[in-house]
Amino acid sequence: MQRTPPTAALGERGPLPAASAGIGLRFPHHRRVAETKPKIGWLEVHSENYMGGGTPLAYLEAIRAHYPISLHGVGLSLGSAEPLDLNHLRRVKQLVDRIEPALVSEHLSWSVTDGTYLADLLPVPMTEEALDVVCHHVEDVQTALGRRILVENPSSYLRYRHSTIPEWEFLAAVASRTGCGILCDVNNIYVSACNHGWDAGAYLAGLPPNAVGEVHLAGHTVKELPGGQIIRIDDHGARVTDDVWRLYAEALQRFGTVPTLIEWDTSIPDLDVLLDEAAIANSALAIARGGVCADAA
Amino acid sequence: MPTLLELQRAMNGFMTVGDPAAAAFVIGDGIAPEARLAIYRNTYHGNLVSALRISYPAVKRLVGEDFFEGAARAFIDTHPPRSGYLNDYGAEVGDFLAQFAPSLPYLTDVARLEWAVNSALHAEDALPLDPTRLSALPADCDPIFVAHPSATLMECAYPADTIWRATLDENDNALSAIDLVDGPLNLVVNRGADGVSVARLSADEFNFAKAIFAGVPLLRALDVAKSDMSTSLAAHLAAGRFADIRFEPATSPERPTTSPERNITSQERNVS
Repeated sequence: MQRTPPTAALGERGPLPAASAGIGLRFPHHRRVAETKPKIGWLEVHSENYMGGGTPLAYLEAIRAHYPISLHGVGLSLGSAEPLDLNHLRRVKQLVDRIEPALVSEHLSWSVTDGTYLADLLPVPMTEEALDVVCHHVEDVQTALGRRILVENPSSYLRYRHSTIPEWEFLAAVASRTGCGILCDVNNIYVSACNHGWDAGAYLAGLPPNAVGEVHLAGHTVKELPGGQIIRIDDHGARVTDDVWRLYAEALQRFGTVPTLIEWDTSIPDLDVLLDEAAIANSALAIARGGVCADAA
Repeated sequence: MPTLLELQRAMNGFMTVGDPAAAAFVIGDGIAPEARLAIYRNTYHGNLVSALRISYPAVKRLVGEDFFEGAARAFIDTHPPRSGYLNDYGAEVGDFLAQFAPSLPYLTDVARLEWAVNSALHAEDALPLDPTRLSALPADCDPIFVAHPSATLMECAYPADTIWRATLDENDNALSAIDLVDGPLNLVVNRGADGVSVARLSADEFNFAKAIFAGVPLLRALDVAKSDMSTSLAAHLAAGRFADIRFEPATSPERPTTSPERNITSQERNVS
């Protein structure tokens, strides 16, 4: 069942500069970004941090005069069995109307059940029932906002016994049924592939290239559990690892030069560190565009 | 096979109260299902403790990091969030602390003040009422003020404002100079052009502010007051505690006939 998205054709990459890296804008960097306007293609913020009014929103409004902005939400809970929280959707819409962002995105995850917000991005079971639920919620959001959204693949630390659909197929089906785009988090693919024994390359190959409208890159942590087992935790608290940079090069070969974001959320470093990471991503984008190392990846 | 709702309710049980039933739905594969679920539960707790730390910095400094984290976890267990907008999380911490830490009775007032400050910081934007609009009002109207979305009034049993300020300033001299019997007192909190302001109000000013912030027309609000409120009204205006002003049309049958001036100087009105 193919539906027409409210706006923007499938595959449209929005008004973000295509072959350019952005950084996740966090509060410690508000002032410096607003005052010095560093050379960076675009900025992304967590929508929930700019709801209501006051100083954060004032900074975002000042900064949006100089940069394209992407709004990345964590609170809509697209995978909840229950209806969307309409109050939250209203807050998102209010922010979207005010900021007029280049992109709006959310996660393939759930956080809300029986009205309780579980304050984390919890994995959705990969079932036909959940696929229907996610598609309906994506459509509700796209209708309410009057625009196409991107949905991001999660990182995960567990799988459910009753899941029947590979995650990449699930995500591809959401994109194809709702017309939404895919926010391909390459670090999340790497983390989940390591944690669950998946083939990261097969995951990339399973995503429809035309639907991928943005790429996320971030660092993660290797954690040893008390029993000695290793699990990778997606904490956005370090530089992008070499393995993830390699997987990113592969993603660019498959998807073309997609706007790419450097995310950092714990132990946030100096802005220069983020700009350094973005410079690497920009170089990778230039290489991919030029086809310089086409055989290497 | 659980339905999506059954699975999510089981996960909710694990996340909020540690009910292990959800483990039956999770593949182990070398790591116990409970250990996998615990990763999410840790993030849930960690994110909410961080949210409370941001909203309650003075309470945290007053009780210390360990006590704060214990109190925050006990609060989270009994008050799971109801919205994906975490700036709204933790309104009940003041009441909770009255039960959790009865030996520190002033904590509740400090927490309520911090919540008012937090709410003022994140309140919807609205331009402050331009005081010159008062001079442009028709001569015999009874204006209704619209409180700024950030404005809150609160009654404290203890001097929460001086405790809060000295704690955030890490000013030990000011803290030790505070007399806990310097109360009860009344505070008004709002976000103005220079950030959040916290100011004291006399009992009379407080009753007047309660009335006009609630949309009581000015003349009736002045009836509530026992003393001249013109200075207090000017202070609210200057601090940006109003967003708008409306007035009943001159033809309204309920239009009061007394002049504003007479009421502003009235000293003998019965509050009840």
